[in-house]
Amino acid sequence: MKQKVFHLAIGMTVLALVILLAGVAAAQDANEIMKKSHMAYYYAGDDGVVEVNMRLIKGDKERNREFTMLRVDLEEGGNQKYYTYFKKPSDVSRMTFMVFKQSDGNDSRWIYVPAVDLVKPISADDKNSSFVGSDFTYEDVSGRHWNEDTHTLVNGKGDLGGKPVFIIESVPKDNGYKGFAKRVSYIDKSNYLPLKEEYYNDKGELIRIFTADKIEDIEGIQTVTVRSIENVKKGTRTVVEFSNIDYNVGLGEDIFTERYLKTPPRQYIK
Amino acid sequence: MLKRKLIILGLIAIFAAPLHAEVNIDGFLQGLYGARLEEDNPTATEMPASETRLQLRAEHFGNSAEFFGRLDFVYDAADTAQYEWELREGYLKFRLGQYFDFKIGRQVLTWGTGDLVFINDVFAKDYRSFFVGRDDQYLKAPQNALRMAFYPGFGNLNFVWTPRFEPNRLPTGRKLSYYNPFVGRIVGEGYYFDPATPEAKFENGEFALRYQQQIGMMNAALYFYKGFYKNPTGAVTTPDGPMAIYPHLDVYGASVRGSILGGILWLEGGYFDSRDDKDGDNPMMPNSSMMGLFGYERQVATNLTANIQWQADAIMDYDKYEAGQTGMGAYVRDEVRHLLTSRITKLLNQELVTLSGFVFYSPTDEDMYVRASVEYKYTDQLILALGGNFFEGNNQATDFGQFDLNDNVYLKATYGF
Repeated sequence: MKQKVFHLAIGMTVLALVILLAGVAAAQDANEIMKKSHMAYYYAGDDGVVEVNMRLIKGDKERNREFTMLRVDLEEGGNQKYYTYFKKPSDVSRMTFMVFKQSDGNDSRWIYVPAVDLVKPISADDKNSSFVGSDFTYEDVSGRHWNEDTHTLVNGKGDLGGKPVFIIESVPKDNGYKGFAKRVSYIDKSNYLPLKEEYYNDKGELIRIFTADKIEDIEGIQTVTVRSIENVKKGTRTVVEFSNIDYNVGLGEDIFTERYLKTPPRQYIK
Repeated sequence: MLKRKLIILGLIAIFAAPLHAEVNIDGFLQGLYGARLEEDNPTATEMPASETRLQLRAEHFGNSAEFFGRLDFVYDAADTAQYEWELREGYLKFRLGQYFDFKIGRQVLTWGTGDLVFINDVFAKDYRSFFVGRDDQYLKAPQNALRMAFYPGFGNLNFVWTPRFEPNRLPTGRKLSYYNPFVGRIVGEGYYFDPATPEAKFENGEFALRYQQQIGMMNAALYFYKGFYKNPTGAVTTPDGPMAIYPHLDVYGASVRGSILGGILWLEGGYFDSRDDKDGDNPMMPNSSMMGLFGYERQVATNLTANIQWQADAIMDYDKYEAGQTGMGAYVRDEVRHLLTSRITKLLNQELVTLSGFVFYSPTDEDMYVRASVEYKYTDQLILALGGNFFEGNNQATDFGQFDLNDNVYLKATYGF
């Protein structure tokens, strides 16, 4: 009898350990998947040049933003620099905008207004504010570090429109974070690109949906060329289309300085 | 004959240029209509603004240089010359070697850290535009200048030479009344004349220099200016009586700006060396002064940004200045003049609506100026705006007090293409 209890105790301990370890492994898996996804989505190549067309849709009204975006990665998964040259609409044309994305979260932003020859740093406190009035936030554009959330693999054998996906639930580690309370991501198993993301608020209501609408092979890199975000609560939708994508063009870090903020590098921006 | 052929050739070249796909042309058409709020304003017209403006922008990128032009055509019902045009910008830009950038021609120049408050930015301003509701870009008057920027790899040096002095554009009494010190009260158009600008000689050009360097999170800069006061703050005696002039001015200054405490902080200082009154004992010329500025801006909530600034301006040799203010009703300013400003910007409805307020308040001069506007982007092309300019002052002779009768509201519609 005593032995039986002893065996049972050992058995249960082993079982508990297995469950615990499996849990840790799953968590690690989820973290690893989100890291890979982040790299595939935000760090394609060492640098990139892209023409962006944004359509801001509300009801039957549509607005357009056109700009060229340059990006250089200073370290894979770490610091990045972004340069944006606005073409349309007319009231923002020729304005340039620069972001130094720091992996510690202290981003810096500058804007140049050519009509008054003014270079101005912008206080970049709120990453959840809208990017040029669209449904994309600054964080959507340059990425939220995977370390900022706790990830759980909900389903390792998911399926989205016939594509095998990992379904991962992410909860912000910072309780004060306002962007979302929970995010469910559908990550393509073949290339780790996020195919869909659902954002929920603290009441458990669905607030925003991200979808990768078109994925193409660009210079051997699987790239989301059409993406959209629907703001369920506001009834607005933004569709972003990438074109003329070029990776590994050899962008120098000197392009991401005030000199080029004032005089755009014309070999990339016409 | 040859001249005529050249002109024709030139015109053909200009109009053929857009046929090259690489010349981009865009711009806007704008209607601006203002109404004054004070009945007893002695201005020549009751309309602070009543204008239709067409701005055309053209740019061309060559292999190693680029051209940019910005041309404004204005029909102004409130002005004597109803049709007007101005080349706001017309410059070419190129790089020489690896380290030098040049920008030559008519251009708008800005530097320094202040928000609508300037110390080391001694470039021309246009207050005729600023106070009647024109877009912010019109606060800056263009200068014909040569700008050279040197980027040695550790900081950068900018040098601007404006061969012919370019003064500020101040209210004339036609649309906006102002305080005339020779008359001793707020006046309308009858008393205005363009003060004589310094003779077109090499030594009367304006030289501005800035050295800028990033130090950690802070951007630090040193400035130097050699030229003239941009406002006619001095006077000389002529057989016809006193005449306003632009006195000589040198400015030495420095600034730092950077991210701190979740916002942007800036500090700037400058010494205004009044070269025509080094000792401060000439009451017809301004005394030298020391200026300091502190500013801080941050996003206080989603889509809500606010800033505050404090500027102090200390006059040198105050005793001598005070002793010189003997005229009837002369305004004697405080030794240190303080100016507080605040800007609040709120974006609403997917950034389609912008609410904006800017307050200038001087506790020492006891005057105030408030700018307020609502802007609505009805479509990508059409922007509608409603705004106002409000002045208050205890004394007619102070910076904002002199505009006390100019309170106005305006309506503005812009179609961009």
